[in-house]
Amino acid sequence: MSDIILEVKNLTKRFPIKGGLLGREVAAVKAVNDVSFKIKRGETLGLVGESGCGKTTLGRSILRLIEPTSGEILFNGEDIVKYNATKMRELRRKMQIIFQDPYASLNPRMTIGGIISEPLEIHNLFNSKEEKRKRLYELLDQVQLPKDAINKYPHEFSGGQRQRVCIARALAVEPEFIVCDEPVSALDVSVQAQVVNLLMDLQKDLNLTYLFIAHDLKVVEYISKRVAVMYLGNMIEVADASELYGHARHPYTNALFSAIPQPNPSKHMDRVILEGDIPSPMNPPTGCHFHPRCHYASDICKQDYPISTDQSDTHQFKCHNPIGN
Amino acid sequence: MSEEKLLEVRDLKLEFNTDRGIVTAVNGVDFDVYKGKTLGIVGESGSGKSVSALSVMRLIPNPPGRVADGVIKYRGTNLLDIPYDEMRSIRGNKIAMIFQEPMTSLNPVFTVGNQIEEAFALHQSHLSKKEIKNKAIEMLRLVGIPAPEKRVKEYPHQLSGGMRQRVMIAMALSCEPDILIADEPTTALDVTIQAQILELMNKLQQELGMGIIMITHDLGVVAETCDEVAVMYCGQIVENADVNTIFHNPSHPYTKGLLESIPSFDATSSAKKEKLPTIEGMVPSLFNLPHGCNFADRCPYVTDECRTKSDPLLKQLNPNHLVRCWNPVQPAN
Repeated sequence: MSDIILEVKNLTKRFPIKGGLLGREVAAVKAVNDVSFKIKRGETLGLVGESGCGKTTLGRSILRLIEPTSGEILFNGEDIVKYNATKMRELRRKMQIIFQDPYASLNPRMTIGGIISEPLEIHNLFNSKEEKRKRLYELLDQVQLPKDAINKYPHEFSGGQRQRVCIARALAVEPEFIVCDEPVSALDVSVQAQVVNLLMDLQKDLNLTYLFIAHDLKVVEYISKRVAVMYLGNMIEVADASELYGHARHPYTNALFSAIPQPNPSKHMDRVILEGDIPSPMNPPTGCHFHPRCHYASDICKQDYPISTDQSDTHQFKCHNPIGN
Repeated sequence: MSEEKLLEVRDLKLEFNTDRGIVTAVNGVDFDVYKGKTLGIVGESGSGKSVSALSVMRLIPNPPGRVADGVIKYRGTNLLDIPYDEMRSIRGNKIAMIFQEPMTSLNPVFTVGNQIEEAFALHQSHLSKKEIKNKAIEMLRLVGIPAPEKRVKEYPHQLSGGMRQRVMIAMALSCEPDILIADEPTTALDVTIQAQILELMNKLQQELGMGIIMITHDLGVVAETCDEVAVMYCGQIVENADVNTIFHNPSHPYTKGLLESIPSFDATSSAKKEKLPTIEGMVPSLFNLPHGCNFADRCPYVTDECRTKSDPLLKQLNPNHLVRCWNPVQPAN
């Protein structure tokens, strides 16, 4: 089973809330709750959901930038949750992350050359200065930045170019798997398309695997082969991107997709408008977390959390009253 | 033209003093707002859309900014000429504004009730304290906040992002303004909440008949809410037409490029794996605009003319369709 690069089993992350005189744990936020999924090598899994649904926590837990509370993360078949710090550090060569905000994730006092060569230095990936320079030029070329960028500072670049620097930094150690945490959300539309194209080209050339986190469903649908939808820490539906749009089974997925404004004034969709806000993850509703906002909710939804149902090999959802039954 | 014209902006020019010299953020912008209609202003960051709107409210901080030229006529009165006190009686009363960040535009140390009441106390001083209180609750109910009697006593941090944006809308609408300026009202919100807010604004516009200026970079939002669209690039309007023309027959290469670069759900799975069309390069710095057309360096239809001739003027292609380009894209059919 070497074509599965990453398998996550029952991953849970709780953030304790401490209170009172003794600082005892009074409550906990279940940011990620019993999530399981697989990603094939060379594939992109999109991860969508509203703010606070736990998608970023999930992405970071996979890299163990946040320690998961329980569950297994199998990377190339090995459970990395059990790895110690030294082994983890070696492994980080294989897994990298691109952050959302290219303004905050680059050190303003380092040159672009310094930023991109730091991972090379940490992992001892060059023998001579010449070799390092050659590798830097190669990386800049891959992300379509000019060679003279090497001595410039982040403030001299626009948002799109900075995101290219972040991509080059992630690519420096030749990773197999990259978590892209909202990489284009902070960019303007015309620049966004350039970065999306770049990410797709790199995937093809270097056989990369992406976990692509975003709240912009159009971008996710475009770049991903499969898409997972999260709601209040739970993964409620996973399916092929083309199937999810139009053939979603979970009412939340359906509402989420219908809420996207269409850039076409003569076509108005039948919109499902959800009432209310996302409930607090500290105190989620009983049964199915979505039932207070769901148009299809019945009595059972208030009591039992739905188990995962297989629509097909590639399509799973968790709902008592799925659409299209 | 049977429609009632509320606002007429002509040849607006805004300058800012910076460390690197004077920069012209808005250069000769014209637009009109009609009663019951929505004008969309679209553009990328730095294109001058927000400052144009702020200048209508006379909220451009001076210094460093100033209106260098132009006329902003509200029902025939030039807002740039009237004294400050008179402007205060119009601002928030006749022309109101919703800002982008509901987190930072509410005062954290006052209850939301206090903040809505302030608008009534300022502009409708004949009301008693009790009446004002009831009106604030009424406004919260209007924007669809559940249990308004309770919420009115709460502080902004106790509300979610969508709720705060509703409070902002309640505040803006409290004096039943003629014109509502919405500066990226849903950018900070999730799509499901965005759908709620846009529907609410639509409903309130039908009830109250105000003219709306919708400033956004999301073309989806424009298609759903606007009647007329102005596309801005580098401080100028490059194309202005009704919403159907903009989306189906864009004439400016920039508008066309913007529309093509959004991924669409309509694409079939085979076409989907093709590359997204992009606009090459990036927005030029306002300090160093190219000679001739500002868009020339990024334009796929560029000719020598675009670089040698002076900046193209906004010219009329059809009635109600203006475009600033030497070689406008021909309509598809």
